Amino acid sequence: MTHESQANMEKSIEKLIYRAALALDDHNWDDWFKLCDNEFSYSITSFSPEINKNMTYFSGNKKELKGLMDMLPKHNTDHSPLHRHTSVYTVDVADDGKTADAISSVTIYQNMLDGINSHIDSGESRLFVIGKYIDKFKITDGTPKFMSRETKIDNRRLDKGSHWPL
Amino acid sequence: METNKQIPEKGAYEASSKNSFGDGAKASKQLFIEEQQNILKNIWVPVCHESEVPEPYDFRTSSIGNENIIVCRAPDGKINALLNVCPHRGMLIERRPQGSFLEGQASGNPKRITCMFHAWQFDMRGNCVYVAREKEGYQDRFCKDDAGLRRLRCNVNFGGFVWVNMNDQPVASLEEWVGDAFSSLEGKINSTPLEVVHYRKEFIDTDLKAQLLKTPEKVDIHSKHSFFNFGHFMTEDRRTGANTDRKKNSFPTPDAMQSIRVNLFPGFSFHLDGPSLNVATVTPVNENRLMVEHKSLVPQVESETDRSTRTRFYNANSGPFKAMGHDKPKAAVQNEEKKQAVADHLLNEWSRWMDQHPDGESRLSDLTMRRRRNAILDKDEDLIGPKVVVIGASHAGIALADRLRKNGFSGKVAIFDRQVGGPMERPPLSKGFLLGGGETVESKSLLRQKKWYKTNKVRLNTQTSVQAIDVKNKTVTVNNDDIVKYDKLVIASGAIPRELPDTVGMGNSFTLRQPSDANAIRQAANNADSVVIIGGGYIGLEVAASLRKKGMDVTVIEAASRILARVASQPLADHLEQLHRDNGVTVFTGIGVEKINKEDGSFESVTLSNGEKIKADMLITGIGVFPDSKLAAEAGIETQRDDGGAILVNEMMQTSDEDVFAIGDVAIRRDQVIAVESVHNAQETASIAAAAITNTLAPTLQTPWFWSDQYDTKLQSVGIVPVQDEEVYQVVRPSKREHGMSFWSYKGLELVAVEVVNDPATYMEARQCLDTKRSPDPSQISSLSYSPIDSGGGRS
Repeated sequence: MTHESQANMEKSIEKLIYRAALALDDHNWDDWFKLCDNEFSYSITSFSPEINKNMTYFSGNKKELKGLMDMLPKHNTDHSPLHRHTSVYTVDVADDGKTADAISSVTIYQNMLDGINSHIDSGESRLFVIGKYIDKFKITDGTPKFMSRETKIDNRRLDKGSHWPL
Repeated sequence: METNKQIPEKGAYEASSKNSFGDGAKASKQLFIEEQQNILKNIWVPVCHESEVPEPYDFRTSSIGNENIIVCRAPDGKINALLNVCPHRGMLIERRPQGSFLEGQASGNPKRITCMFHAWQFDMRGNCVYVAREKEGYQDRFCKDDAGLRRLRCNVNFGGFVWVNMNDQPVASLEEWVGDAFSSLEGKINSTPLEVVHYRKEFIDTDLKAQLLKTPEKVDIHSKHSFFNFGHFMTEDRRTGANTDRKKNSFPTPDAMQSIRVNLFPGFSFHLDGPSLNVATVTPVNENRLMVEHKSLVPQVESETDRSTRTRFYNANSGPFKAMGHDKPKAAVQNEEKKQAVADHLLNEWSRWMDQHPDGESRLSDLTMRRRRNAILDKDEDLIGPKVVVIGASHAGIALADRLRKNGFSGKVAIFDRQVGGPMERPPLSKGFLLGGGETVESKSLLRQKKWYKTNKVRLNTQTSVQAIDVKNKTVTVNNDDIVKYDKLVIASGAIPRELPDTVGMGNSFTLRQPSDANAIRQAANNADSVVIIGGGYIGLEVAASLRKKGMDVTVIEAASRILARVASQPLADHLEQLHRDNGVTVFTGIGVEKINKEDGSFESVTLSNGEKIKADMLITGIGVFPDSKLAAEAGIETQRDDGGAILVNEMMQTSDEDVFAIGDVAIRRDQVIAVESVHNAQETASIAAAAITNTLAPTLQTPWFWSDQYDTKLQSVGIVPVQDEEVYQVVRPSKREHGMSFWSYKGLELVAVEVVNDPATYMEARQCLDTKRSPDPSQISSLSYSPIDSGGGRS
């Protein structure tokens, strides 16, 4: 890859990450899935200093995720919207130009809607989760798609909250 | 249904479920505190799992109620639970959630638990192994063997959980507490070593009781459930639990199917859910908030595939994002009858612990009975013979213990005192101590060093109040309702300073009796310019002299016609009053206090009976004491008055009960006219009582003596001046010493007392005269050429 094409690809991947953030903010699952390869896998992980272990809070492939998204209307869930602030820190495109890795910082805020008493709680924004996106991409014909996303969160305190991907 | 009481009633659950704000169990601070004290500090709590401290020197911190604890593994592999609070200054020691002490820290050596504040160090069993500047700073008053982290009752059992009970004498052993409820679970979770692989916490805005009421929601209509003692219950999935074919799918296999949930009161859930054991523990944070910690445990040794299978199952069913997988339809868990039974079971147990059970059942009573049984057993196994219990580590109490041992008493001696810290010398408190710098009372004036108690086998129990005396059963009830038997009881509880009703609770108003009082006065005086002292007795005058020497404006107000009206002769009182005036103290005599004026709840000024108003920064009241005889009076022991006064004793200091003695300021002999509060009286009455208890020769009685330091003047007196006796008169004897003199009190030709100012030699002569009942000629005593010792004026 030339320097220029590598720089262009890095820019494309950054945009891809930001588009994914918008789609997730909007619960626009179809648009999000369109950004993912068919082999896409997703996980939420964390390290617990309390038990000194890496933990996986959730994991699933694209098919499983899609099935879950389709079931969402049947779930009892907190409907408070989540908003992500994402900053892409690094994008590393492989020399052959077929894959890439990216690490982004993510901060997710919860804008209260349900709460304990929506009359009092609704409208307030709270910090929900902090962490990193650790993404892998597959690049086909110059178009990157998510191959995997590990949302590695720092939180071990997880109150009642979302039932959808972070 | 009453909504302002916490009494569970039939239908309580139903009522609560209809009320979105709870069942009327309004979350309150008081209820929260009572739950901490009554429940959480008396039950077995699974604070962590042994796999969280796998290696020697590993630790894990946690809390029970509002107490911080630390669990650590000792070099021998044993797991200990300790209070995570330094005994030095009460600071939290280890702040990390987990880690290892194997490596040194910035402020700690390897293999030591180190307090970052003053570097005291402890081993994995809580023993104190290092105290900074131990010898230089504490000399012999303290040694590290006496310190140590409080070791808590700790068992590792039932699946490898670390169970801790804050109560050293719990209502039940761990096996009794947990055993029955874990009967279905125990075999499975003990079949292989487990480890914690998942941890998270959540906070819920509710209180413990309201959370208990939510528990029935988890009761599945398909499960069978069993109730156990102590509020525990178990649910087992009926479709799988008893089915023989399902046994091959039992835990610990990764494709396990059964579901067993054990709920231990008040909020510890052990749910064997398919291939993982999920544990949830509830910790109340405040009156409106609970923390729930979730852990998942799986076998320590297994393949990656098996581990992955378990993790996916756990996440789908119990993980924080579980609703992304499955969510059981609510309709399937509705069974009001079962829910009500669970709610009644839980609330009954809650009310037993909170002493609110409608049938009077009480866990706290069970605890008390257990403690009583244990307390009655004597712990001083190495000592034989009768047991002497002393109430009050006063001058008298300590002197008695000392005298008992010197008289050869080989039985047990236990002293109970409500004060914090070792017993102190009291005389310096009103004198030099108030002038001191940074040192505390404790660092200066211990009556006995710690070593003395060890050497003499005297068990000193500080911060221990005696609540009742039972003369019939010969027991005393101390803190926490512990009962201690005695063969001989000695009351040396001393006296309590009188307070003016208007001064109670005022921040800048003080009395002086205990070391803590002196510390408080000294601290306040460091930030004050003026003081009013009500009372012209010795305490008031000594404090006046000390604070005047600090440069404060001092006003002394005495309602009687002169200072020291109860205890000193007129000439001495006049001399001392002039001494104070010469040093700049304003002295009012014969004038009462009309009113204590406050400003914002603090002392502001006094209005005198003559209308004069005196402002000052602080107020000290020194208007005498009254004997602390309430316990004795309540026990039916004879006192001066039905409502109190000193305890009446015979010449052996024996009270109206032959096995109970009273000594020091709390006692008065039946033939004694006036109570004498002095160190001499404390020591002498202690010696008399000790002789009576040990059946040894009674000591030779000394003439009462007393001393006082004011400015650079040293007063020594011997004998008691009968100030009310109009026949008594004083003769002044000059001194060879500068500023010295003495006042010799006579009744007729009989010498009754001598008060000496700045002349120790004359004091010794006077004392010799009185001890030998010799009365020097009053017409010659004012002459320095006349020797009172060689006068030959003896009398019988």
